[in-house]
Amino acid sequence: MRILVVEDDLALASYIQKGLVAEHHAVDTAADGEQGRSMAIGIDYDLVVLDLNLPKVDGLSVLRGLRQRKASLPVMILTARSKVEDRVQCLDSGADDYLAKPFSFLELSARARALLRRSHLPSESVLKVRDLNLDRIERRVERGGRPIELTTKEFALLEYMMRNAGRRLTRAMIIEHVWNLTFDSTTNVVDVYINYLRRKVDDGFPIALIHTVRGVGYQLSAEGGMA
Amino acid sequence: MSAGAGSFSRLPCDQEVLGELLHSLSQPLTSLRCSLELSIDDLAEQQQQTVSTALLQTDAVIGMIQLMREYLDADQRPAHHPVALMPVLRSVMEDISSIAAVRSIRIHVAGTCASEIRVAEPRLRLAFQYLILAMIERQPAGSAITLFLGEGPAGALLRARCDRPLGVLETGPFGNASGNARLKRDSIGATIRRVRMAIAVRILAGAGAFLAFDDGAPGFVLRIPRSCGVKPGSSSSI
Repeated sequence: MRILVVEDDLALASYIQKGLVAEHHAVDTAADGEQGRSMAIGIDYDLVVLDLNLPKVDGLSVLRGLRQRKASLPVMILTARSKVEDRVQCLDSGADDYLAKPFSFLELSARARALLRRSHLPSESVLKVRDLNLDRIERRVERGGRPIELTTKEFALLEYMMRNAGRRLTRAMIIEHVWNLTFDSTTNVVDVYINYLRRKVDDGFPIALIHTVRGVGYQLSAEGGMA
Repeated sequence: MSAGAGSFSRLPCDQEVLGELLHSLSQPLTSLRCSLELSIDDLAEQQQQTVSTALLQTDAVIGMIQLMREYLDADQRPAHHPVALMPVLRSVMEDISSIAAVRSIRIHVAGTCASEIRVAEPRLRLAFQYLILAMIERQPAGSAITLFLGEGPAGALLRARCDRPLGVLETGPFGNASGNARLKRDSIGATIRRVRMAIAVRILAGAGAFLAFDDGAPGFVLRIPRSCGVKPGSSSSI
């Protein structure tokens, strides 16, 4: 996929570019709103990652201009503003997603994937990783043909991990997406639920799908180790 | 001290200064977080361990900055459409009950209430989350928390009861009427809990509600006067 990153902080822009290139995207950068607007309109991108505070033309003006010319182009806003009102204004102006700084690259990457998937592929009703299947409509999970009973939260956690299979997920990302809570370093609920899932999903199978990523969090991967 | 007319723009108030500093801090912190994350795979195992530790510390700083922002934003009072209390409380409980279960704490929600409050829905969620999480964290394993949301003649009432007092008066932040937090220098976890409660108090007070801790029994009572919102189907407003 081809992605445009409009960010005037050159260090941050280069880190985002490096990370997205490592995920096999083609990435261009623009350092101000004028250049960003011109590139976004003139080149066929799959996604625009747009900072709000930009020199020459601010991000919100770029976004409004883009919406008039390319209504379906996914746009993710990056901003240091985090108030509810800022978020509402961005979404009302046509942003598809909004990521407040400071953020982790993993979070940006996960959201970019979600936007690209939404715009290019129909939503999958059944997620599959190796012999593990999760039916989002029927709310059924089975591995190797064996049904697995999950609680609501366990199901939501497994669905989030399967949607991001092969990607590292931080505890903060998991608690924000699955529990809808701001990250709380004082609770171990993520670790506890990962253990619950491991018992149900990996125990008794020769290959473990859920892995701990030291210093980061967890990953569900088809390239499993021994259970 | 005097300054020539027009030589300075208006000096920002404390809240604006802090807001600007946090805003400025977020940019280099994002670069730092991303650079650590993206470098870790290129390092030898021993260096990975060092960078992993640095990542965890960076996340802790990011968490603190988010709390500071939430605290600064908590008492903003722009006009909002009224939000129904019960659906937000039930939605928060769906997320939090699993955290309580991990600590072997049972939570019951009871009552019926159609009242609303004029506050942004995400802020109301945050206030409920922080209040209930604070209760959970103070309770011993095997205990129970009961939440009752109902309506009285003056407005809505959320009564939360638990086994162990929340100890808010001992810990300081809400001990004085002005709401200025007096935080002890103790563990980060305890500080986070108290700041979160301070955020909840500011959000709810900003919407015109009244919160009392350990009032007669362990827990809290939240009173939401009728004037804080409107009843469904009513055209009244503040």
